[in-house]
Amino acid sequence: MVVLRAGMCPGLDEDLVRDLRAADVKTVEDLVSCNLEELAQRCSVSYKALFAVRRVLLAQHSAFPVSGADLYEELLSSTAILSTGNPSLDKLLDSGLYTGEITELSGGPGSGKSQVCFGVAVHVSQQLKQNVIYVDTTGGFTASRLLQMLQTETSDKEEQMAALQRIRVFRVFDVFSLLDCLFGLCSDGLQQASVGGGSVKAVIVDSVSAVVAPLLGGKHNEGMSLMSQVAGVLRTMAKDFNVAALVTNYVTRSSSGELQPGLGVSWSHIPRTRILLERLEEGTTAASSAAATADVSRSSLRSATLIKSSRQPCLIREEFDLQWWSRSKDQKTSGLKRKREEDSDS
Amino acid sequence: MQRAVSTFPLSSGVKLKLLSAGFRFAGDLQHVSPPKLSHEAGLSQQEALEALQVVTGGGAVASFTAMELLQMEAESRNIVTFSSQLDSALGGGVPVGKTTEICGTPGIGKTQLCLQLAVDVQVPPCFGGIEGHVIFVDTEGSFVLQRVIDIAAAAVTHCSLLAEDDEQRGAMATFTVETILSNIFLVRCHDYVELLAELHLLPDFLSDHPRTRLLVIDSVARPFRGFDDLSQRTRLLQGLAQQLVTLATRHDLAVVITNQMTTRVRGSQSQLVPALGESWGHASTIRLLLQWSGSRRLATVVKSPRHMDATVQYQISTDGFRDADQSDER
Amino acid sequence: MSESGAQVLARTEARRCLTDIEPRLFPGNGGPDHGEVVEVCGPERTGKTELLYHLLCRCVLPKSAGGLEVDVMFVDTDYSLDMFRLVSIIDSRLTRALSPSAGSDEEVLRSCLSRLLVVHCSSSSQLLLTLHFLENSFSSRPGLALLLIDSISAFYWLDRCEGGASFSKQEEKLSKCSELLGRLLRDYRITVFATCHAIRRIHSGLSSSSFSSSDSDRPYLCRSWQHLVTHRLLCSRQASTAGGSKEQRMRQIFTVHCSSSTGTKAHRISSFHVTDGGVDFT
Repeated sequence: MVVLRAGMCPGLDEDLVRDLRAADVKTVEDLVSCNLEELAQRCSVSYKALFAVRRVLLAQHSAFPVSGADLYEELLSSTAILSTGNPSLDKLLDSGLYTGEITELSGGPGSGKSQVCFGVAVHVSQQLKQNVIYVDTTGGFTASRLLQMLQTETSDKEEQMAALQRIRVFRVFDVFSLLDCLFGLCSDGLQQASVGGGSVKAVIVDSVSAVVAPLLGGKHNEGMSLMSQVAGVLRTMAKDFNVAALVTNYVTRSSSGELQPGLGVSWSHIPRTRILLERLEEGTTAASSAAATADVSRSSLRSATLIKSSRQPCLIREEFDLQWWSRSKDQKTSGLKRKREEDSDS
Repeated sequence: MQRAVSTFPLSSGVKLKLLSAGFRFAGDLQHVSPPKLSHEAGLSQQEALEALQVVTGGGAVASFTAMELLQMEAESRNIVTFSSQLDSALGGGVPVGKTTEICGTPGIGKTQLCLQLAVDVQVPPCFGGIEGHVIFVDTEGSFVLQRVIDIAAAAVTHCSLLAEDDEQRGAMATFTVETILSNIFLVRCHDYVELLAELHLLPDFLSDHPRTRLLVIDSVARPFRGFDDLSQRTRLLQGLAQQLVTLATRHDLAVVITNQMTTRVRGSQSQLVPALGESWGHASTIRLLLQWSGSRRLATVVKSPRHMDATVQYQISTDGFRDADQSDER
Repeated sequence: MSESGAQVLARTEARRCLTDIEPRLFPGNGGPDHGEVVEVCGPERTGKTELLYHLLCRCVLPKSAGGLEVDVMFVDTDYSLDMFRLVSIIDSRLTRALSPSAGSDEEVLRSCLSRLLVVHCSSSSQLLLTLHFLENSFSSRPGLALLLIDSISAFYWLDRCEGGASFSKQEEKLSKCSELLGRLLRDYRITVFATCHAIRRIHSGLSSSSFSSSDSDRPYLCRSWQHLVTHRLLCSRQASTAGGSKEQRMRQIFTVHCSSSTGTKAHRISSFHVTDGGVDFT
């Protein structure tokens, strides 16, 4: 509800506000929905003046319809697709991360979510020469790992430093600081992160579940409302500033034992695209010992399953190597060639 | 985009009063003075003043470029474990400013490693240590004073043998078993409420003792076992995880927690996995798994932000946590 | 409020009746009539959005391509409208129906898209004010026959938190929106389709995360909204059959259970799967 205050629009002065308050009209919604003739009589104001005020306030506070054709034109010209740097992931995402949308990566511990986020940040910063905002809520951000990945892309120290300068990291560990951070970014138009003439093209939040999950459940609704607020500001940021938002989420087991992303049903319709990452179990032969110790797989292979997408059929699965982003350029091109051959064969 | 009042850390009573008085957005409170707010929303003067401070304070969040973080990481320190193989697997030792979890079955050496770290963190800088103090939170009653004395004595002997120049010899004057013991602050917690309360009070303690560099919680699993309401336990643990990360980052601490193992039955197979559920696996940045392989003790780094998984062998001797004797291997 | 003659005419002139919008979904003598509201609900990943796109296309496509050529107002509350997907569906339908002629495709697409009006709302009070504002659009465009709201439940948790302890305060805003919608339906005789996402109930002790069917079709929005709804389309997903070829597994079948509370209380169950060209009924 928007409170009526003097000076909100021409014609709305202190006296009018006082008269309206006396007539129990305190907010813009009240004014817009009540009967104007009656109100004009009760407040002894001219109907015309009241009508004009109503019209201006309504225009100020409601949203405007846009023609589908114009919207489509605008999207065509402003939407960009950011490659993640890994061709298997790009294939799943239909060429990459789309700006204006939220993409979610979920996976259990050790499934590689943070590594994928690092890889994307490095690729966007180094190859696409665009700025990246990285919001770290778990303390897992390691700049030396990013440097490792950068060193395989280019051996030029200047370029490496420049790429690192383009990544801005915020470390927030609770939901209110996260909201402070996101709203702060929105209000200054992502200026503080735009360095060296580039613009921010990717916002990565690793992970959103770490700060939201402790609030859910229990008897209070505040957690759900805060989750909606986080979702709302992320979406607005993605849409208004044309960035691709990538968030990570943890996983839970459903009653039938299969993995599903966390944060529940209410979060599930917020990301446009969702991917589930899993470790690939290397044929662990049970070896018939009753209590085999926990998996100590040395493998860096992961599988990514697409579980929600508006562009691809769901449940397609790709396997990829977490070390892709650390390979040298030659290894990458030969890997790409091999992959293309595989794809054309199948 | 307008920021709603409900997204600020105000008490729910204050929030409700503000909302029912029609102040929905931060922008509504921009030009309101405290007396006016207190009158319109029915708040006390103090509440109105605090609310305005929170909402219009504009909490700017500090940010760093990856470049700056790289420099900070280069300067960050590690706590050596006195097992050189484990140190190299960890990239130098247990890092300060991050959370490390040690999982293993009973008797494998988790507490021994924690005690070793409590001594190692106090090693003077000229020997490669960081000369920090320790808070040891003991929930299992596994803190045995005699053992600490043995480990401390071995560490002092080790360092005094290494001492080559005057500086090092001078440092040895303050690095004695007595000072080591006096810099370990022991807290005993019997259930999860005490544990959470203790952690809540920790920031005040840390501002009084700025030289603290290590927080050990041995173990975090014990107070949380036998919980009836699993979803409440998960929530509490997730909140705990965020608290630990905040402590590690804001106060420059190495946070080390130990966890027990539990059996997970999947179909016809059973497996030993770390306790406290799958979502707890996200809590710490580094996860160390201690296990038996025949008669050997192995330490595996299963989760780490920079290094791939690695396994090393170690042993527990009277001196403490050490590399395994090479002669034992066949 | 006095109206001009043109406004009166725009209001009372019969708008295109949408009973034949999708006969395969609705039972008996067809779909929603003037002033009726269809609620599309169900858990996530059950094809609700695809169904909405299907209905949208049916409305904006020209008659020569099998459409109804009416204007549609799309109220987007959670930024879920994917224009690219919508355009690819319209495109494939156009190429299927009309003989492919290179130049005029763009024109036809443009004219289809110009029949669609999109408006974004970020809170329930903005939704209320926007609906008031849209009254102008309704009166000035007699071709506007369909109002799509995706989704009406987007602000459920925000309202519940801001309403404090009293249930009625929590539901107040949505009630006002529903009452306003009711008036618009009566005055302008439009049809409304709205999606409603399923929520997980907060029950202490209920730790299961899977969705039982009884949970998913229990309505939870305010009473004023429930009174408006005349048809409910409950979407669900058929368990994918194990085995079978890869193509078979990809063709996920979705089921829609339609129940109407007007006239004869009829039911109908239909199923569809999603292709590149949109919804394909089986």
